[in-house]
Amino acid sequence: MNCQQFQEVLPYIIESGGKPEEEEHLKTCPACTALVDDLRYIAEQAKLLLPMHDPNARVWNNIEQSLQQEGLLPEGRMSRLGHITKTSTQTKSWTTLGWAMALTATIVFAVVLTNYKPQQLPSSQLSAQNTSEPSSMNGDDQQLVSQLAQADPDARGAYESSLREVNSYIADAQEAAHQDPDDTSAQQLLLNAYQQKEMLYQMAIARSLP
Amino acid sequence: MNLFPTTAAGKVRARRTHCSALLIAVTFSVAAAHAADNRKETKIEIAPGGNVTIVNNSGSVTLRSAPGHQVLAAYTTHSDKVEVDQNTNADKQRIELLTHALAGQKPTADEAKVDYEITVPPGVSVNVTTVSAPITIEGLSGDISLSSENGQVVVHNVAKSHVHVRSINAPVVLSNVTLAHVDVQSSAGPVHLTNVTGPRVTVGAANGNIDYHGDCGGGGDYIFSTHSGDIEMWLPAYASVDLSARSPKGAVENAFPLEEKHHQINPPVQGRSFSGTSNSGSSSVKLQSISGKIRVKKQ
Repeated sequence: MNCQQFQEVLPYIIESGGKPEEEEHLKTCPACTALVDDLRYIAEQAKLLLPMHDPNARVWNNIEQSLQQEGLLPEGRMSRLGHITKTSTQTKSWTTLGWAMALTATIVFAVVLTNYKPQQLPSSQLSAQNTSEPSSMNGDDQQLVSQLAQADPDARGAYESSLREVNSYIADAQEAAHQDPDDTSAQQLLLNAYQQKEMLYQMAIARSLP
Repeated sequence: MNLFPTTAAGKVRARRTHCSALLIAVTFSVAAAHAADNRKETKIEIAPGGNVTIVNNSGSVTLRSAPGHQVLAAYTTHSDKVEVDQNTNADKQRIELLTHALAGQKPTADEAKVDYEITVPPGVSVNVTTVSAPITIEGLSGDISLSSENGQVVVHNVAKSHVHVRSINAPVVLSNVTLAHVDVQSSAGPVHLTNVTGPRVTVGAANGNIDYHGDCGGGGDYIFSTHSGDIEMWLPAYASVDLSARSPKGAVENAFPLEEKHHQINPPVQGRSFSGTSNSGSSSVKLQSISGKIRVKKQ
């Protein structure tokens, strides 16, 4: 599984925790691990924005009694309300503690969004991870193979196989060069990988010509 | 066995035997005559340092060197559904021999085959492109550019030239190629080098293997690279090389006596890389792979 495939199923992973293959990818990919951690944090904070559940009526009664005993709540107001209904309780909660918590949650959420910096890999490395599977062929490759197949259907298999292999070569060489930009050996491998691809294109184009 | 039968039954058997032999002889004669009809020879003047281009998808292509100022091209077609176009430009610098199917014909794989046997003067460069036809080069001294998808490429006894080979699945065999600039790119085909030396010898492969037998002489640069293919190098004790080998996701093994260098840009990693020199270290040898196995051995 590569990063692109992982990120496509990311919402389900956040909800359900993910499958073994997705967990396996998380173990090997620090970028996706950081992304999941950030999203889980945001999800936790966002829960604070949801409407609050009503506490049991006895809780409000006890609070009222305590406030009345301490003289903080006029007795007349309490008697005017009678018993606390669900609707009135909800309204009351949003006007006091609920509003405060919602405001706090909003501030936290805004801070998280402002400071959120996904650890995006450099494009080369991201490309490398996305193309690390031998089966990957980009649009140009597919177009080349299609044109070749029109000229000679028998040639398709060999070129497809070689293009997949060379794309895997490029991805691995890019990764090696990215890990140590001063590594001349890695750069030579990358150069050779591109020479291989150039060769395939030249041979395929020559073959496709009438 | 009685060569002179006296009984009637014996005479009948002998007559049958003679008839069978005669039938076989006639069959061979007809086949030979048919082959002779499809074989053509041509002599073409070529300027010194000229170029011969051959395009032949299937069959075979063999080129040798011969003195003189002419290219002698002999080719045998395997059916009447294909033909060979021969083009020469006015200044005799370029000759082209192109195999193609006749209009409206769709030859089978066997019918499309053409076998070329060509001799070229010294110093003439050659350019050969095939799909499945094997290419054999013997003793040329001009620049050589060969390309084949599946046909084996063999280059023998070539000196002081540029040798450029491209292959997809074709095995590539180079032997006794000296003082040459060599560039081999093979996707999956194995590359075998024996006594190949020059100022620059580069071999690149994706998943094809590379093996080298020789001394890496001449004070040149030898660079062998693969993605997942293995690299095997056999060196004689007198080889004078400054050698480094590295396979970050594969493995390296060294059984050749190398003196460790005092200063190394990349410190060796056990089982993944090594480097060192032998004798005066006159040639630079770099063996590098992503995940292939690299072995250096003593001849």
